[in-house]
Amino acid sequence: MTNSQFIPAQGCSSPLCAFAPLRLCVELSFLSVKSVKSVVQHLFFSLALLAASTLTAPAGTSQDNTPIVISNSVTKLIPVSVTGFTGEADSVLKFDLSVLGLELTAPDQAQYLITGTQDTRLAGRLQQGGPGGATIFARIYSSGTPRSQAHAFADDIAKEIRGTAPIFHTRIAFCHKMSASVTELFASDFDGHDAVQMTHDSSLVGTPSWSPGGRELFYTSWKTSFTQIIKHDAASGQRSVLAGYGGGNYSPAVSPDGSKVAMILSKGGSPNLYVSDSSGGNLLQLTRERDDASSPTWSPDSREICYVVRSGRAGLRKISVSGGTSVALRTGGISGDLTSPDWSPDGKSIIFTAGSGSFTLWVVPAAGGEAIQLVAGEDPCWAPNSRTVIFTRRVNNNKVLSLLDVPTKHVKDVIQISGSCSQPAWAR
Amino acid sequence: MKTSCLVSLFFVGAALTLGTAGCIHKPNTGITPLPDSNGSRTPPSRGPENVGPGPGTTLPPTPPPTTSVDTSNGIPFDSNANQWTKVIADHNEDKDTLKSDTVYFDFDSATIKKIEDKKLEHVAAYLKAHQADALRVEGNCDERGTEKYNLSLGDKRALAVREYLVTLGVDAHQVVTVSYGAAKPAAEGHSESAWSKNRRDDFVLLLPK
Repeated sequence: MTNSQFIPAQGCSSPLCAFAPLRLCVELSFLSVKSVKSVVQHLFFSLALLAASTLTAPAGTSQDNTPIVISNSVTKLIPVSVTGFTGEADSVLKFDLSVLGLELTAPDQAQYLITGTQDTRLAGRLQQGGPGGATIFARIYSSGTPRSQAHAFADDIAKEIRGTAPIFHTRIAFCHKMSASVTELFASDFDGHDAVQMTHDSSLVGTPSWSPGGRELFYTSWKTSFTQIIKHDAASGQRSVLAGYGGGNYSPAVSPDGSKVAMILSKGGSPNLYVSDSSGGNLLQLTRERDDASSPTWSPDSREICYVVRSGRAGLRKISVSGGTSVALRTGGISGDLTSPDWSPDGKSIIFTAGSGSFTLWVVPAAGGEAIQLVAGEDPCWAPNSRTVIFTRRVNNNKVLSLLDVPTKHVKDVIQISGSCSQPAWAR
Repeated sequence: MKTSCLVSLFFVGAALTLGTAGCIHKPNTGITPLPDSNGSRTPPSRGPENVGPGPGTTLPPTPPPTTSVDTSNGIPFDSNANQWTKVIADHNEDKDTLKSDTVYFDFDSATIKKIEDKKLEHVAAYLKAHQADALRVEGNCDERGTEKYNLSLGDKRALAVREYLVTLGVDAHQVVTVSYGAAKPAAEGHSESAWSKNRRDDFVLLLPK
């Protein structure tokens, strides 16, 4: 097992490579795997080493390791201190912790102490704050770049403090405005790092959606001066047309099980919701309304679709993937146009945009209920952890991508490519 | 003829890909050029009832439908071969002739205003007098909607005008639509004076080559 296999290839556009297990604890990274015997010997040695160096806190003692509860009362940021790191590892770690709704502070005021050292490897320790605070874990990260080592450490901290799934090696896609009439699709790390240009069509492109695991991107292309929905293999660059009917073909959304694509087509004379299999076949029309439908998003079990209908005002509706009657999603406490919903991967919540011109993100239970106001912004998309959201903010004449920690409402901008970036889609 | 056309398209696509290489970061290699407006690529497994006349496909002639078309949700884009199919697939654009007929919409609305009747009557008369031309109606929005919402709203605005032209006697096959959402504003700015100019349908004539 070599370290090099965990280093994403330069320019690799597939998020698959980013999903490789980047965390290697010290005991395994030293192994030169030649025989089962040596593996066993090394494991014994390593376990002894681990026992000597680590005091593991009993599971569940972390006060903040609670399920994500979204309520009107903002959850406070948790004060943590970070000491011992330098350079890129230091900045990456601090960025990631901030995304989790943790607040950097001095060690004597911190609820958690994050300490460590780095050379070619990163040694990190998380412990409770206060005098004699117990160590929660101590690990060494030896694979990949300093950047990926810091991300791996931050993912482990997220698991302990926030109880959330890892997100710091995942990818996003977004649209980048190149000139007045040209946008191109880019893919990057979740924080904007390592951006790779995916399209070179010198036309408009929009509404990206990843298939599960980030294998393919589906998006709307204006390359032909009409709209087509394109299926784009992220690793090979192979492209095909999923939908190119008369009228509009846009806003694809891949189901979480990867088997279907929801989309808006107007070949029937009005923008309505359709669903096909992942190669465009077996097309089924789900809605038959004169009012325009938009913005489909899937339930995690791939059985329901939430979408928007502009009927007087825009509101959220839900419909079964097999069709039938749609039902309005109750969104108490809010009026005005409600658009661009995104269903959380854990199935509990739907985040959406409210307003016209000045936009605000809101979140509502997926079954409907009272909506909770979050922050200014639009076009939200959940991370795989169902806690972090990427969205667009309008700043002067540009759009910028930002990350929101939903329970704390803490916002952190991603690394920006100059110019306008919008329509973020998180690979999950 | 068709083969040479496709071959030249391939080279155009390849040249475009090469020409834009070396932007931010190493470009994705092996990217497939998208089929152009007369490209041959069609979605796989598409049932005949779902085939549109539209932009990416050139279709064999099919007999006209024997059953009446349901227009309760608008005027469908059906798959009948006709004299405009070729024009729509491969054309020269004329953005000037019907430039002054651009129609404007109220905020968040795809309803055609009474004041726009004269322009649409002019467009309809032009199309009836120029039976070789096709028309592309381009729906646009102001910036006060989210991206996906504006795509659908712009689409609905283009479809509403197409439907209106059909009621004025224009053949539905002669009119195609596209939505740009808010991506192609006619006026920059963040006030009603700009927004009112951006909530519009533009008319582009597609002339036979």
